[in-house]
Amino acid sequence: MATSIAKIACAVAFAAGVAAPVTAFSKSATVTEIEERGTLLCSGHNGSYFGFVEVNDKNEWKGLDIDMCRALTTAILGDPDKAQIVPLSWAQRFPALQSGDVDVIIKATGWTMGRDTEVGLQFSLPYFFGGTQFMAHGDLGITEAKELDGGTICVEAGTTIERLAGNYLKTIGVEHTMVSYEKASELRAAYLANRCDAFAAWGPFLAVLRATELEKPDAHIILSDQLSNEPIAAAMRQGDEEFVDMVNWMIAALLIAEEEGVTSANVEEMAANPPNPKIARLLGVDPGMGERLGIRDTWAREMIAATGNFGEIYDRNLGEGSPYKLDRGLNNLWSHGGVLYAPILD
Amino acid sequence: MAIASEYTGSSDRWGQLAKTLKKRAFRSPSDTLTSVFIFGLMLYMAWMLVDWALFSAVWRAEDVEHCAEAGGACWSVIAARHRLILFGLYPYDLHWRSTLACIAIVATVVLSCLPHFWSTSKLVTLWIVGFGTYVLLMDGSLLGQAQVTTDQWGGLALTLFMFSAVVLLGMPMGLLLALARRSRLPAVKGAASLLIDFIRSLPLLTTLFAAAVVIPLLLPDWLNGDKIWRVIVGFALFFACYQAEVFRGGFQAIPKGQFEAGRALGLTSFQILSRIVMPQVFRHALPSTINMVVVTFKETAIVIIIGFFDVLASANAAFGTVEWAPYYIEVYAFVGAIYWIFIFSLSQYGEYLKGRMSVAKR
Repeated sequence: MATSIAKIACAVAFAAGVAAPVTAFSKSATVTEIEERGTLLCSGHNGSYFGFVEVNDKNEWKGLDIDMCRALTTAILGDPDKAQIVPLSWAQRFPALQSGDVDVIIKATGWTMGRDTEVGLQFSLPYFFGGTQFMAHGDLGITEAKELDGGTICVEAGTTIERLAGNYLKTIGVEHTMVSYEKASELRAAYLANRCDAFAAWGPFLAVLRATELEKPDAHIILSDQLSNEPIAAAMRQGDEEFVDMVNWMIAALLIAEEEGVTSANVEEMAANPPNPKIARLLGVDPGMGERLGIRDTWAREMIAATGNFGEIYDRNLGEGSPYKLDRGLNNLWSHGGVLYAPILD
Repeated sequence: MAIASEYTGSSDRWGQLAKTLKKRAFRSPSDTLTSVFIFGLMLYMAWMLVDWALFSAVWRAEDVEHCAEAGGACWSVIAARHRLILFGLYPYDLHWRSTLACIAIVATVVLSCLPHFWSTSKLVTLWIVGFGTYVLLMDGSLLGQAQVTTDQWGGLALTLFMFSAVVLLGMPMGLLLALARRSRLPAVKGAASLLIDFIRSLPLLTTLFAAAVVIPLLLPDWLNGDKIWRVIVGFALFFACYQAEVFRGGFQAIPKGQFEAGRALGLTSFQILSRIVMPQVFRHALPSTINMVVVTFKETAIVIIIGFFDVLASANAAFGTVEWAPYYIEVYAFVGAIYWIFIFSLSQYGEYLKGRMSVAKR
C-alpha cells in the first residue's frame, strides 16, 4: 500500500514535470546511528588476509577491504580515521553483523544464495571478482584439473572453496582425496612439503603466494580451470535498504571517479572547474549526490580526496603499486576489459 | 687442600660419568657403533639448531634482504614486528600505556603469589588496584588520555589480562561451586551439580562463542556490556566448573573424622572449614590446580576464533604481509618462547608451593 502510494506520488511528480525532487527521502537508520556514534564499525580480521586485510609495522590496518571501509567512513563521516576496525574471524562475521558488533562486513565475502537468504544478509554491488583455481607443482607436468586424477587436493577448511573444489572435481569425474587445513599457513606448508599435489584457493591468493613466497615461481602452475567467479561484495543486515543504497553508491562513486579520471590528486581541481555535468554532480558541485542519501553533497569528493578512486585503491593494495602486482583482469572497468561497472548517475 | 679435594671431587664425578657411559653405551662394539652414531646425530642436530638460531641468523630489521642467502633464522621479523606481537592493534604512539598495563598485571599476579599477601582483604585490595590500573591505562579515557576501545587491545597485553582475569575470577567461583556442591540443602547442591555438569559437557569454544556472539542476540543492549567482559565471565565460569571438581577431589581426601572431631570441640562449621579443612584441601588440590592454570594459559589462544587479537592472532598478523610472510617459523618460535617463559614460571611456582606446603605438613 505504502509503495503504491509512493509510486503514484512519483508518477504524479514526474507527470507534472516537477524538477525539484520529492523532499521526503528516507534516511538510513544505520547511517543515523553511525553519525550519532561518530565511528563506523567495520570488519577486520583475526590476523592477516593478504592484500585485503593486513597490519603494517605501525600496528595499523591496511589492505583493499580496509580502504573500502575507510572510503565508506569518509563518505558518511567525512574522516577516514573514524573507521573503527573490529577484528573478526571468518566464522564470526555474520553473527557479529546481526548482533550489531559491526555495521557492515567488507571482508573478502562472496555473495552466495545461502548468505543472501538463510543468513539474512543484503549484499552491495560486487567490488571485486575472484575465482577459485588450482595451483599444482610444475613437475607434475599438468595444465588442467582433469589430469589431477588420483591426486591429493588441499583446501582451507570451512570456506566456500572447499565445497566448490569438491563439486567441480566430482563433476569432471576426477578421483581425489581432499584434505582441509584450518589455516592458510598450514595449507601452504603442506603444499610445499609435497603433501598435496595441488591446492585449491582463490585466484588472487594463489597469485600472491606464487609471486612472493615460493622460491621458484615458475615451478608452480596455476591450472587453467576457473572453478567459479566469486563476486565479492559488502554485506549488510537486512531491513535497511537505504544503507544498501549508501554502500552501493559509495562503490559506484569510486568506479565513476575512475571512469571519469578523477583521482585523489586532481579532485580539488576538478571540483573547482568540473569538465562535465557528471563530474559536477559526482563531486557535489551540482546538488543531489548527498541529499538523496541524506548526507553531505560533497561526500564523494571528500572520499576520493581521502582514499582515491577505485583504481587507486586497487593499485595501492593489490596492483602495480603493491608488492603483489596482481593484474586487474576481471577487476578492471568494463571499458578496459573487466566486469566492474557503476549504475547510472543521473 | 680445599682446592685439591674439590679437584679430586670433580675428577671423581667425571670418572663416575665415564664409568656409567662405558657401562651403558660402550659395552660392546655394536653398542659403541650405535652410540657414536646417535650421539653424533644429536650433536649435529644441536649444532644445526644453534647455527640456525644464532650464528647464521640475521638480527636487524633493515638487513632483511640478507635473510634469503643467510640460511639462518631471520630475526629481523621480530625486530620489525615485535610491537605488533606484544601489543596487537594498540595505537603505536600509546604503547607505553600498554607496557605499563602489562607490568601492572604481571606485578599483580606475582604479588598475589607471595605468602605475604595471602589474606582475603589484602588479595582483594591487590586485585582491585592491579586490574583497575590495567583497565585505566589501557582505556585511558578516565586518565584524560585518548580513549582506546577494547577492540584495539591486543597481543601479549590482552593474553595476560584475559588469563589473569579468568583465573582470579574463576578460582573463588570454583571454590564457591565446590562448597555449594557439598551443601546439605538439596536445592543448592542440585543447582551447583547441574551447572558444573552442564558447563563441563560443553566445549570451551562453544561457551566462548555463546558469550561473544549469541548472548548479544538475546539480551537487550543495555545488559550486554563489552564483548571482552562477557568472554572473561564465560571463560571464568568454564574454569570455575573444572576447578570446583578439583576442589571436590581435595574435599574427598579429608577423613570424616576430622569434621566430627571439630564439632566435638565445639567449633562452628565455618571454623572447621576455614581452620581445619580448607588448608588441607588446598594442599591436596595443588598439583591439579597448577595444571588447570597452565592449561588455561594455553587455552586463552582460543579467543582468536571469536575475533580477539591475542598474542597468537597478532603473531599471525605479524607475518601476514608480503615482506614478512616467509618468516613465520621465527614468529612462532618467538611466541613459543613467550608462552614457555610464562608457563615454566607457573610450574616452578607450583614446585615452590609444594615445598612450602610440605613444610607445613611436617
